[in-house]
Amino acid sequence: MVPERLQDFKLKPLKCELNFLSKSDGSAILSQGDTVVLASVNGPLDIKTTSQNIEKATLEVLFCSKEGKPSVADRFKENVIRNTCETAILGCLYPRTGITLTIQELENYGGLLTCAVNCACLALINSGVGMRHVVAAVSCAVNEVGDLVLEPTQQEAESARALLYFVFDSRDKNLVTGFTEGTFSEDTYEEALVRCRLASDFVFQFYRDVVKKYSNVI
Amino acid sequence: MAEIFKHIYPSKYFNDYISRNVRPDGRKFDEHRDVKVNINAITSADASAAVKCGNSTVVCGIKLELAKPKAEEPDTGFLISNVELLPLCSSKFRPGPPSDHAQVINNIVSDIVMNSKCIDLKDLCLVHDKLAWVVYCDLVCLDYDGSIVDACIVAIMTSLKTLLLPSVSFDAETEEVKVDTSARLPLKIHGLPVATSFGIYEHIPRNIVLADPSAYEEEMCGGVGANLIVCWNKGLFCGIQKFGGSNLSTEDEKRTLVLAKEISKLVEGVIETCIKNDKVK
Amino acid sequence: MKVSIGDVVLPGDYFDEISTDNAKSRVVIGPGLRKEEDHVYITKAGVLKKKNPHTYWIDSYQKRVDIGGSTTAALSYLSFEGATKKNRPEVQVGDIIYAKLVIASKDMEPELVCIDSFGHKGRLGVLTDGFVFKCSINLIRKILSPQCPLLESLKNEWPFELAAGMNGRIWIKANSMKETIALGNAVLGAEFMSQEEIKKMSNNISATLAGHVY
Repeated sequence: MVPERLQDFKLKPLKCELNFLSKSDGSAILSQGDTVVLASVNGPLDIKTTSQNIEKATLEVLFCSKEGKPSVADRFKENVIRNTCETAILGCLYPRTGITLTIQELENYGGLLTCAVNCACLALINSGVGMRHVVAAVSCAVNEVGDLVLEPTQQEAESARALLYFVFDSRDKNLVTGFTEGTFSEDTYEEALVRCRLASDFVFQFYRDVVKKYSNVI
Repeated sequence: MAEIFKHIYPSKYFNDYISRNVRPDGRKFDEHRDVKVNINAITSADASAAVKCGNSTVVCGIKLELAKPKAEEPDTGFLISNVELLPLCSSKFRPGPPSDHAQVINNIVSDIVMNSKCIDLKDLCLVHDKLAWVVYCDLVCLDYDGSIVDACIVAIMTSLKTLLLPSVSFDAETEEVKVDTSARLPLKIHGLPVATSFGIYEHIPRNIVLADPSAYEEEMCGGVGANLIVCWNKGLFCGIQKFGGSNLSTEDEKRTLVLAKEISKLVEGVIETCIKNDKVK
Repeated sequence: MKVSIGDVVLPGDYFDEISTDNAKSRVVIGPGLRKEEDHVYITKAGVLKKKNPHTYWIDSYQKRVDIGGSTTAALSYLSFEGATKKNRPEVQVGDIIYAKLVIASKDMEPELVCIDSFGHKGRLGVLTDGFVFKCSINLIRKILSPQCPLLESLKNEWPFELAAGMNGRIWIKANSMKETIALGNAVLGAEFMSQEEIKKMSNNISATLAGHVY
């Protein structure tokens, strides 16, 4: 298996605006293709004693879907995002405090969760919370023929044999979070992991461009 | 003395064990706990199993019901699983509506069963657009000591494998349903998915992967529940979930997948043997 | 990723130039930088800056000040000029005070005082009247920086008092409501402006305001 060159990959066009909300400590609105997500970070704040952790900050994640009705799938998304962001944040700098992360789905045309994770990361960057590293989420589908499709569209995802989601850190490109749907072979998994890892560079480069754009004016 | 130290400085206590290449309960890093399976633990259920992985205990009971299939999918039946984490199993859980953690575990368990395609929901349909089986799989955790997803999957799969569906006759004209419980047929199961959990502990110089972590180890690895869950079915993956814990490098990941394969074969053997022994009885 | 001075950096990047510097002199790593084992890692997104000889920090955008504590700060009755146990200062709940921090640590309650180490109040104390609004910390740093022409050009237009706190609050007191609002807008508007633009804006503001007043 030969990993392809970076130029061979194509992700959906990314567009982002930081500091979208005036009242929250950090916010970002991100569109990946037609999927749009808004994230807001507040904190570190004082929280009630029962949920305080003496070692690190407590991260609370609230995912609001477009329908507005909370569901088990939303809890699962919250869990994914919370676990991912907890490793990214330097929680030990803010013991006994709480950081709230609210994510609002605006448009979903496939790849909602990857968009939500990336948007959450941008909002955290904007809030100025100390972070160990940034994270990039990339998804991949195995289509009926067995080929890999990066960043599948809604239709591609629905007809896919398997869907794989990965989140990488920016330091060593190690796997922070990963989860899969459907069945697939070991080789497919390895190949998808290698490809998505390479593709994550695009996302990291995008973060850098966004920060560059904003640091020119301050 | 050690008990006090554990409470005063939990991270140091755990780290001291890990630096000496041993876990607090005496296991090696890649050693899993014994799996015990008891089939038909609940006689009033249509199928059931009680599973113990170390101290983690899960009971699964299956109840059957008949219902009309959904209009959008008139050829499929229903498989509904529900995991309950009551205050009985751990002090971490409070009474009341299912906690976020229970909902997440539930989601993982039903995803694994669905993704592995071990059950074709079409097999559960009896008459097109008229009648289908609803298989309720209720999983109750009695003792929560880590790697709960593994135990849940073993319990649910063993129960499903021993499930016998009564024969049903349906009169198309009168729409009358007759259930004959004396003539029962087993449900078709494709393969046998087995989940294996791992905890990833941040350690210098390299992170440590702990197979089949206990509740205490899960807590020390950060995050609720196991960090990595790998599920095999018939030589294919049907779910690789990694949440929280330390980050996983490429070598660690490869080693873990191999280890998961070995463990799942062993567990598969345990389930097959138990079912065989049960039939002999 | 390895970065160097002046680069746009992201959390997780590392920076090696410190270790190759003269080892004997003292090195200061400021906000946004963190030492982990042998590397200095970046923890905030922004621009990596250096001040000679060996002070490094990240210029980043944020709205919340990080004094380390998350709980509300304590302000003692005795931390005012001339205050004794019998002679209590006149401070009510809801008053705006101009104070400084004496203790700020992540494990302790922050403490505020309104006196310097000699017991004098200087400009610290209760602020009466005026108007308070919130803004980003970067804006506070910007207007407090000696290079920023905003206050210099505004003070030529009409008299006012202004206190900018590093907690992201600005207090303004001017002679009239109109002037106060105009000032507030001018300060907020200056956030994403260059120095020339700020100068131009302050001139325009007084001109338009002058038109309305007279």
